This record gives sequence, structure tokens and C-alpha cells, in this order.
Amino acid sequence: MALDRRLVYHFDWTLFMMTLGLAGVGLLSVLSASWGAPKHALDPLVVRQLVWIGVGTALMAAAAIFDYRALAAYAYPLYVVTVGLLAAVMVAGHVTGGSRRWLNLGVIRLEPSELAKLALVLVMVRYLREEPPRGGWSFRQMIIPALLLGVPLALVLKQPDLGTGIILALVTATLVFVGGLNGRVLLAAMLAAALAAPVGWHYLKPYQKERLVSFLNPQSDPLGAGYHIIQSEIAIGAGGAWGKGFLKGTQARLNFLPEQTTDFIFSVFAEEFGFAGSILLMALYAGVIARGIWIARHARDRFGQLLAVGFTAIVFWQVAINIGMASGVLPVVGIPLPLVSYGGSSLIAMMAAMGVMISINTRRYLF
Amino acid sequence: MNEPFRRRRVRIGALTIVLAALFALIALRLAALVVFDGPRLTALARMEHTGEVALAAPRGPLSDRNGEPLALSAETRSVYARPPQLLAASTPQERAPLAAALGITPSALEAKLHRRAPFVWLRRHLPPARAQAAEALGLDGVGALNEYKRFYPEGTLAAPVVGLAGMDGQGLSGLELQYDRLIRGEPVVLRFYHDALGHPIFDSPLALKTPEAGARVVLTLDARIQALAENDLAAEVRKSGARRGAAVVLDPFSGQVLALANIAADGASIGERLHDTAVQDAFEPGSTMKGLLASIALQDGAITPPQRIYCEDGAYTVGRRVIHDDSPHGWLDLGGIIEVSSNIGASKIALKLGAKRFYDGLRAFGLGARTGIDLPGEARGILRKPSAWREIDLANHGFGQGVAVTPIQLAAAYAAIANGGYLVRPYVVKAAYDAAGRPLLTHTPEVLHRVIAPGIAHTMNRLLQGVVNGPDGTGRLARVSDFVVAGKTGTAQMVNPTTGAYYQSRLVASFIGFLPAGDPRLVILVVLYDVAHGHFGGLTAAPVFSDIASGALSDLNVASTAPHYDAASLLPTAGAARDDSAEELADQLAPAVLSGDDTTAAALTGGDGVPDFSGLSLRRAFALARRRHFDLEVEGDGYVVAQRPAPGAVPGAGPVTLRLAPAVAEAEKAGALKTASMHGILAAPANRIARARHQARRRSRR
Repeated sequence: MALDRRLVYHFDWTLFMMTLGLAGVGLLSVLSASWGAPKHALDPLVVRQLVWIGVGTALMAAAAIFDYRALAAYAYPLYVVTVGLLAAVMVAGHVTGGSRRWLNLGVIRLEPSELAKLALVLVMVRYLREEPPRGGWSFRQMIIPALLLGVPLALVLKQPDLGTGIILALVTATLVFVGGLNGRVLLAAMLAAALAAPVGWHYLKPYQKERLVSFLNPQSDPLGAGYHIIQSEIAIGAGGAWGKGFLKGTQARLNFLPEQTTDFIFSVFAEEFGFAGSILLMALYAGVIARGIWIARHARDRFGQLLAVGFTAIVFWQVAINIGMASGVLPVVGIPLPLVSYGGSSLIAMMAAMGVMISINTRRYLF
Repeated sequence: MNEPFRRRRVRIGALTIVLAALFALIALRLAALVVFDGPRLTALARMEHTGEVALAAPRGPLSDRNGEPLALSAETRSVYARPPQLLAASTPQERAPLAAALGITPSALEAKLHRRAPFVWLRRHLPPARAQAAEALGLDGVGALNEYKRFYPEGTLAAPVVGLAGMDGQGLSGLELQYDRLIRGEPVVLRFYHDALGHPIFDSPLALKTPEAGARVVLTLDARIQALAENDLAAEVRKSGARRGAAVVLDPFSGQVLALANIAADGASIGERLHDTAVQDAFEPGSTMKGLLASIALQDGAITPPQRIYCEDGAYTVGRRVIHDDSPHGWLDLGGIIEVSSNIGASKIALKLGAKRFYDGLRAFGLGARTGIDLPGEARGILRKPSAWREIDLANHGFGQGVAVTPIQLAAAYAAIANGGYLVRPYVVKAAYDAAGRPLLTHTPEVLHRVIAPGIAHTMNRLLQGVVNGPDGTGRLARVSDFVVAGKTGTAQMVNPTTGAYYQSRLVASFIGFLPAGDPRLVILVVLYDVAHGHFGGLTAAPVFSDIASGALSDLNVASTAPHYDAASLLPTAGAARDDSAEELADQLAPAVLSGDDTTAAALTGGDGVPDFSGLSLRRAFALARRRHFDLEVEGDGYVVAQRPAPGAVPGAGPVTLRLAPAVAEAEKAGALKTASMHGILAAPANRIARARHQARRRSRR
């Protein structure tokens, strides 16, 4: 496939630059979060993140040039490979912090659940790209998507990784909603979900229940389960309107914040750049999401439209849950802040997804 | 565009709204965290990661006027721990030697470490060697800091004045509190960040600054005079059964306080022992007021010294009240009124003077206002506005009732009489110097204003000598060998602070005087609080005055002036310099039937055995006991009728017990004779028995 001049001419620089901007914010935040006292030195973490941003950028560019319609053919094989990797994690996964989430591939460690988010979107869109019947998708037609969601969801929850599980479910729900679910089935599903919540509680791990309880009342155990929430709120509140300045945050510097390079990186950022910085960061995310929705609305075909919705949904739900958790409105679940949190799998997967979105946007001029 | 595609667009629109709403909610939450919870969270953050250790500066030393140290600071070491660090780095077994080195039990140590504090003191103010042992264990999270501990080399000497400093080097009372800002020095506060495990982050300031020592403060007190005053006062407090005693020794010209003694009875609480009664408590002065009254009346021209006033034979009706004298007097001049301490005479002078002028005079003497002495908690005393005085109040004020003064106020007022008429501000700190010896503060004598003219001060000086040297002076026990004393006794009923009424049998006995009368060097006030009935100012306070005065004068190397004869004085001051002559005179006047010649008794018993007290009045019995160094225990009123041990017996360890009985006919006659002879005036013969019976009660106002 020859590189069409129009590919360059219509390249979506807006999304590309916003993605790089978020990755840049992430790099600064990872630097700040690892700029620990007492040693003021560049942590190898930062270097690795920089390398991944490089790899991710290359992949994003490649995906932007690549014709996204060809992805439909890879949807099921990719899905099978991902489920296989998740199963492999069960068997040979690397355990950190009490859960088995990583596959050690010698030089790098892969987190298949990050890949699973993309693979699930792909396979779901592949199934939903057919025009739904009049009146929308019926309940019976939703059995296959439910199975497609159910397998990776079960494997992810088994790790246990509640955060990824929630994202998988929410993204699927978003896709099915936009993809044309029958209105009555939609209502019934929402009712069923509300009824299922108490049953779901029963299946939660004790630590997950603890988090939910401490979310409702963080002071019930300030040094135990409520610690994360309190420390994160302190960092955000102490940042004030304008923040303490880059590398001047004390809560992260002095190791009071937990998971400060990954799940709670937003608190590190908010402490140093304040409310103003937080709003700017959220505006940047809103820009990416708005762009994603715009791309979906203007996509040339249904496949591209739903793909854009799916990837945008991944970004949105992760941002909403992560910041909601850091600011204490949602219970603590392990979800990275997309493009910002430290971690190669998540970063590269997200940048690739953004590349696919650029491809969708660019190609509407080609045919 | 087909229908389902349009519906999808509708659904994308709906999705957009939902997403935007969720984002807005999160942004609102962030704003709430910053705006509403920001201050609280910021404080939490600061509390969480900042540690603070104050290195106390050594408090400056306090010394008396001669450089005798009264308070010093010694360097000690205090051992602390950072529990998270220590607990992470060692096992309880490894910490056991630490507990042993500190002299605490391992369980006490563990309890301190599990308080979830980033910093705890393990043991403070250890001798450096002990702390060294703990530090030598080399446990991570254990350290020691220099601290200073206050100690007082003279023990409790002048403790209510010097005050106390606390564990953290903060002044708590007395001068330690009053001059805390000077004495405290410049402590160094170390602020450091520590991480979640308690590791300090910026520990470099530790070595940068040393705390600056506090100022050296030199007092006006003289430790020797202070010790003398406290010892003499304590002895009398014990002997008289007083609840407490206070003494002030003041230089009348400069206002420098040479001694300020506060003694509480045995068994008093530490708070009572540290209470500075001399500055903080007001008492009704009683007859010592008459010296001020006379000064004011003379200054005002209301009376002249030779002017005679009829003292109504002992009972004088003002309004519906009757004012009594201890013994009836007829016509007395001002000197006589002061010498015998006639309440009626004083009332008449007060009435003649008038409330407004009397009040203004008292204000000029500094009553009803703080002297401004540099000690904490000074009381103002009580002096009501003259508009509130009824006639009886005015009369009562004349002999010191219905008005309250602090000892320091009274001493300052008499200092004005002693120094020729100026009210000076008393003070206890002479100067303060910083560590390099530069003066930070110097107090110089401060004359507030003139109270009375020099001539009137001179007259008052002479009149007050009569109290001590006059044949019937109430303050004869205040005499000091080789020096002429001017002064005034006072005995007042105590006011019950809750009811405002007078206690029937609780008295405040006092004596205030100055000497040498010709060139006053010292004003000394002795107050004994809550003495039992029968202990009058002239009996209990005057001897203490005498002891303090003679000791202080020899301490100050004041040379004895020639016996003071005042040619112009009509008062018999001859023999004033010879302590015993007046006593002998009185003894000679005593009737032979009473065989009350104590000098004879002393001679008979060879000077070693118990003297014969029989037939002596209480006053004279005490004088004899005092000269011969016996303690007395007294039962009853009147004259001595029995004693144990018997005269001439070998004295035991305990006191001599005397039993007194009311005067019999002969004693009465003797008493009348005595009064008559001493005044050279024939007293009216009536009412003698009644007088004797009520003598004790009336004396209370003397």
C-alpha cells in the first residue's frame, strides 16, 4: 500500500499532539513521583517510561497509517491470543501486591489485562458492526457479546483485578448501548445490574469489601484501608489552587502516597500543580474524548464508528474512575490513569488505540 | 443517512452528555477538596510530615546583689526515639539494653514506642554519662539532645520571689516568669521533614546554630539578709502558730528590696510555700495605718504635734458604733496617740481630716494602687472611694480597718516617711546582662512623687521612735542594740474572704519600722498572718523585726550612731540604746507582791535554769523568754500564776508552759499604777475590772 499524500494532509495532528501531551504529563509526573527523598536522582523508572513513550509513539504512527478496516480480520485471532495470555497469567503469572497480573517475558513484563481491553473492544465491534435489526439488538443476540466479555472478565477477576474487570464491563456496555441495543432490553439490563449489585458484593474479596467500607467512611481505619484515600485527599487538598510547584510536593516525595507512580499518580500531579493543573489535565482528557466522539460521529463506516466509541470509552472510564478514586468519590480499585500512569503495557496499548483513532479520522477522506 | 445510523448518533449524543456530566462532577469534587477541605488537609499534611524539635537555650543565671547565685542551669542530656524507625530497625530483645541504660522497664519503653508518634522523649535530663550509655548502643532511631535543667543552689531561699522554671525551660512563677523573655534566651527550633517511616530528611540544621544563653539577672536581694529574714520569720511562725508570715526589707531611698520573705507554716502545700504573699495578698493593716494618718494630718495641717486630743477614756461613740481603746486614755498629744496606739485618738484625727483629704493622702502614699514592683501578680489592695465612706468608715480607716494593703505597699509607704517624704518604686531586679556581659537592662531608683514635706517626715520619724522607745510604747520589743528604731505595731482582725465579716479570733500581727532612725538605711515590715488571739503585733512581729534588723545592719556594716537624743523631743527616749534599761525601769515599777523581776530571777537561777515568770504580764513573759531563749506555751489570759518547769529547774527540750489568770485586785491596782506612772497622767479610777477583762479583745486593734 502506497502512502497516500492525503494521509499526511489529513493527518489528525490534534489527537496526535494531545496524546503526546498526556504522555508528557505522565513522564513529568512519574519523574516527580519517583524523585524521592532523600536521594534526588533520576529513577530508572523515568528512563523506561521515556523508552515506552518512544515505542508507543512509533506504534501510534504506524497504526495511524495502517488501514483500520484490516483490523476486523485480526479481531478474533487477537482475542484468542489475549485470552490465552490471561490464562497463562493464571498459571505462570508474576505476583505483585497480592495479585497475579504480570507475564514475565524475559526482557519485559507484560500485563495482558491492558491488552485485553483493546482486544475486547476489537472483537466486540467486529460482532456489532452488522447493522442491528429494526428495533435494535434483541436479548438473544446479546448472548455472544456476553460470552465474549465473560471469558476475559472471569480471568481478570480471578487475578484478582477488579479495576480492569470494571473497565471491561463498562466499555462493553458503552459499545452495546451505542451499537444499538433494544431499548427495552437496555432498561431490563440496567434493572438487573441494580439487583445484582448486592449479589456481587458477596463475591468480592475481603480486601475489596474493606475498600468499599473505607470509601464510605475513610476515618474508620485511617492507617489501614482508609489510608490510601486519606493520603490522596491530603495531597490534592494541600496542593491548593496553584499547587506546590514541580518536584515540591511533599506527600509523594516523602512516600506517604501509595502507588504513587501508577494508580495514584493523579494525586502527585494535583499536589504539585494544584486545582488549576488538575482542571487543565482534565481538559486535555476531555479534548481527547471529545475528539474521539467527533471521530465516531464522522466515521465513514460503522466499524470505524464503533471502534472510535470503544477506544474513547476506555479512555473515559479509566480517567473518570481513576480521578474519582483519587479524590475520594469512588472506592479504591486499581485502574491506571491512561497515558499518564507508569507502565509500558498500558501506555503502549493506549497509544496504539489512539493511532487507530487517527487512522479512522484520516481515512474518511480516502473513500 | 438511514434511520438506525441516525439513532446511533442520538445515542452518541446521549453518551456525550453522560460523560460530560460525570467529568463535571469529578471537577466539582476536586474543587471542593481544595476549597472546603484545603486548609484542614494542608494542616494534616504539615502535621504528617514535619517534625519539630526545640533545643532549649540555657536559662540565664539569677544572682543576688553580691553575685551569690540563686538560680543556675546545668547541662543535661535527653534521650529521644523516632518510634517508626526504631521499631523497624530492632527487635524488642535488642531494645531491652536501651531500657536498662535509661533506667526504665522494657515494657515502659515499648509502651512509649507504640504511641504512633513520630518523636517521643524516652528519658529527659539525664546526666551526660547515663545518656552516653544509651547512645552507645547505636540503635537506629534513638538520639539524644542537650537540654538544660534549672536548679537553685540556695534551695528554697527566696523561692516565691525567684520562682520556678519548668521542664522545658519556661518560667512558671516569680522572677523566672516576670523576666522570662530575658532569662529564657534564644532557643533553636529545628524543623525537619520526615518521610512516612519517620526518617528525617533535612537534618543539616542540627549543627548550624547553637542556642543563645539567656540573660544573667542580678537581683537587689541580699542572700544573707534574705536568709536571716526567712529564718527569723520561720522561727516566729512556728512559735506563734501563724499560718504564714511575710517580711519585707527595703532600702527607703532607692526602693531596692533587700529581702522579701514568705514563710508558710509547716505542712503547707508546695503552692502555698511558693506563694508571694508579700506582693500578691492584701491584709488589713490595723494600727500601722496610724503612722500614715498622722503624716497626712500633719501635712494637711489638720493637727499639730503638741495639739492634745481627748481620748474619751477608752470608749467613743461614732454613729451607732463604739470605738474602744485597749486602755483608757484622757488627753493625748499626737505622739501619745501613736505611742499607745489609741484608736479613739486616730478616729478623731481621721474625722477632723475628712474623708476626701484622708483618701487623697493615702493615695499619695501609694495605697489602692500597685507599687509597680517587678514581680508577677501584684495586688492592688483595697481602698474604697471616699464617697462611699460613712462617718464610721472614716473613723475606722484611721486605725486601719476597712482598708487593705499589700506588705510591699505598706513598706513603700513607710519608706516615704523614712526617706524624708518621697514615694519610691520598689524593685527586685537591679540589672540584666547578656552572655557577653553587655547590660540589657538597668534599674535605677525611681522617685514617683513627694508625699509629705521633709519637716513632717522628720516629725513623724521622731514620733515613731516613741513607739519603740517610749515608756508605754507598743513596739518596745523591736528595739535593736546600738541603734534607734522608729516604727509602729499593728494588729488587725482577719477578714473572712467569703463572708466579708471579721474572724473573731484570727489576727494579723505586724510591725513596720526603719532604722537607724537618724539616717534610715532599712525599712523592715514583718507580718504574721492568722495568729491566735493573744499574739499582738508588738509581741510577735516586733521581735522578728529586731532580729532581722540587727542582723541586716551588721551584714551591711552599718556603724552604730551615737545614742540618739532628740533635745527637742518631750518623749523620754533616754536609754533607748540600752535594751534592758526600759525593761528594768518597768520592772522596778512593777509591784513587789508580784515578784516579777525577771533579772532577779535570772540571777537567782544562775542564768541557766528556767527563769521565774510568775506575776508577769504576757508581754513581759515573752520578752523574758526571748532574752533567755525559751519557747513559751501559754494558757489563759492575764498574768502568770503558774509555770512548768518550775523556776530554777534545769530546762528540758520542750517549751515552758505558763498558765495565766485574769488580774486579781492587786494586779489591777498594779496595772493602773503602771499606766499612770508611765504616762505621768492620772487615769480615771473607774471601770478597772471591766477594762482588764476586755483587755485582750481590745488589743486586737492595736
